[in-house]
Amino acid sequence: MESRHLTHMRQAVKLAKYALDHNETPVACIFVYEPTDEIIAYGMNDTNKSHTGIAHAEFMGIDQIQEKFGAENLVEIFKDTVLYVTVEPCIMCASALKQLGIKRVYFGCGNERFGGNGTVLTINKDHSTISLNENKTYDAIPGIYRKEAIMLLRYFYVRENDHAPKPKVKKERILDKETFPPIIWSSYIDRSLFGQEFGLENLVHFDENTDLAGISNHGIDWKLIDDSCDDIVDTLEITRQKAQINIHKRIKSTK
Amino acid sequence: MVKKALNPLKIDFKKGIIENKLQQIRNSRTTTTPDLIKVWTIEVNPKDSKYVLDLIRTKTQKQDPISMLHIKRIRKITNSDTSVSLVVVIGSVELFEDKNSVQSMLHSFRKDLKYSNLSSSHEIPKEGPQTKELMLQWSDEYWPLVWRGNPNDQILNDYTFNMPFIEDILLKIHRLSQEQYENGNIYPIVTAFVDPNDSTNCIYACDTRAQQESSPLDHSIRIGINAVSKRLKERKKVIDNAHTEGYLCLDFDVYTTHEPCSMCSMALIHSRIKRCIFIQPMTMTGSLKHKSGDGYCMHQHKLLNSSYEAFQWVGDKLDPPEISQSTCC
Repeated sequence: MESRHLTHMRQAVKLAKYALDHNETPVACIFVYEPTDEIIAYGMNDTNKSHTGIAHAEFMGIDQIQEKFGAENLVEIFKDTVLYVTVEPCIMCASALKQLGIKRVYFGCGNERFGGNGTVLTINKDHSTISLNENKTYDAIPGIYRKEAIMLLRYFYVRENDHAPKPKVKKERILDKETFPPIIWSSYIDRSLFGQEFGLENLVHFDENTDLAGISNHGIDWKLIDDSCDDIVDTLEITRQKAQINIHKRIKSTK
Repeated sequence: MVKKALNPLKIDFKKGIIENKLQQIRNSRTTTTPDLIKVWTIEVNPKDSKYVLDLIRTKTQKQDPISMLHIKRIRKITNSDTSVSLVVVIGSVELFEDKNSVQSMLHSFRKDLKYSNLSSSHEIPKEGPQTKELMLQWSDEYWPLVWRGNPNDQILNDYTFNMPFIEDILLKIHRLSQEQYENGNIYPIVTAFVDPNDSTNCIYACDTRAQQESSPLDHSIRIGINAVSKRLKERKKVIDNAHTEGYLCLDFDVYTTHEPCSMCSMALIHSRIKRCIFIQPMTMTGSLKHKSGDGYCMHQHKLLNSSYEAFQWVGDKLDPPEISQSTCC
């Protein structure tokens, strides 16, 4: 696994932590323009504040790209753009990303209820969701900072239950920090792509449905998800503003 | 719920067509193996059955997210000493997460209730089967079931339709779609959002992706959902009653000229609508009909946690302007 993937996913995890600290579902993403390796947009869940069920992290990022570079350039930019998102895109977002022709998606943990990149449906490889550029399908690669993404969701789940009226007869929610479900890599990618992305020496993880070593050393990067990171939005905002100029140059020069 | 014979609507139960005008859209890939769910059972002495039935009536039946109207709650078993016990289904594992919560519920219901073998090892079909033969087969293999006819008949019978209202809205979106086409919109797709509590005040949304500064994702359904939320926010400012007044598009009816794509059909799941009625199927990109696209049947996909009703207009010809079948709507 190339280190830039880890660097970008760390930013996404920090942003998800920020969302958690601001009472939103801890799901966040970073859009990276691959030719220049620059962050061109970021997004976090905004369903509570927006009063819609569709204000997912990916859409905030898509809106940022559209706002900065113009709607007419969206598809051209997406062709070379890679998404890093803490949780597998839902079916709706996976479809939006496919229609815009995204290059590739990296995500942390699977989305058990709504996942559109292999868990529930595999929109990224389907026939009915029409891509608007030559990227007819895209690969969605799971497992990067997976346990951290799961832990953030668990933090949210435990906390959310504090406020909710008790609709069901349930035991007290206990924060589980020890056990994680196996990761079924083959639901998302095949063995050869796994080998390309993570190295042949790691194929044992594919075969045994285990988490990658080296990313979090079979443990969890607690500092990453427990330290507060209130400056992350400002940092990302500055970064994406800077990126704008380079892309404009590139698009103009290719025309 | 009215009896089938008393329903004023003309329903073709075999084909799932209402008043010769609306075709119910469902996943018709019939399955002979059921989805199973584990349930909590206890064994009791037959003389205590009345307590247990009372318990189910008052403590679990209404609360259980899994409806168990299609199963027999009690199954008789003969013990090795020829005495008879009753195995009783208390509730699903979705209602009670662990043994402790079942025990404490039983205790709070009746301190001296005698029971044994509390376990969650039995599995029942999550839903009743479509045919009587299958009901008998599943009763044999899994757990005794009750036959009340094809469950879909009851579903069809329980739907409510205000046909004049429905036709009126469909005519309206059809007309708007023609207008869009005549005004040069190459995506003449129109969707209406009807709030159950404010049905005269519905929101019409047009596909704007052909406009400048518009994104390829500005499908009419997405535009409409955002318009509903904008209205909701404005109202909440006035009423200042954030938790009771409106939630997403909960229980909305959505009318659209073209069968929605995977993004939009899922957006409707996220928005908690009640019903979607479309006019024109999209054979390549549609996500509701099992014959459209990849056959997603998104409105009643088993793995998703919620669903909505879907119908296709099959009444008097309404021909929305033709668009390329490779368009996601």
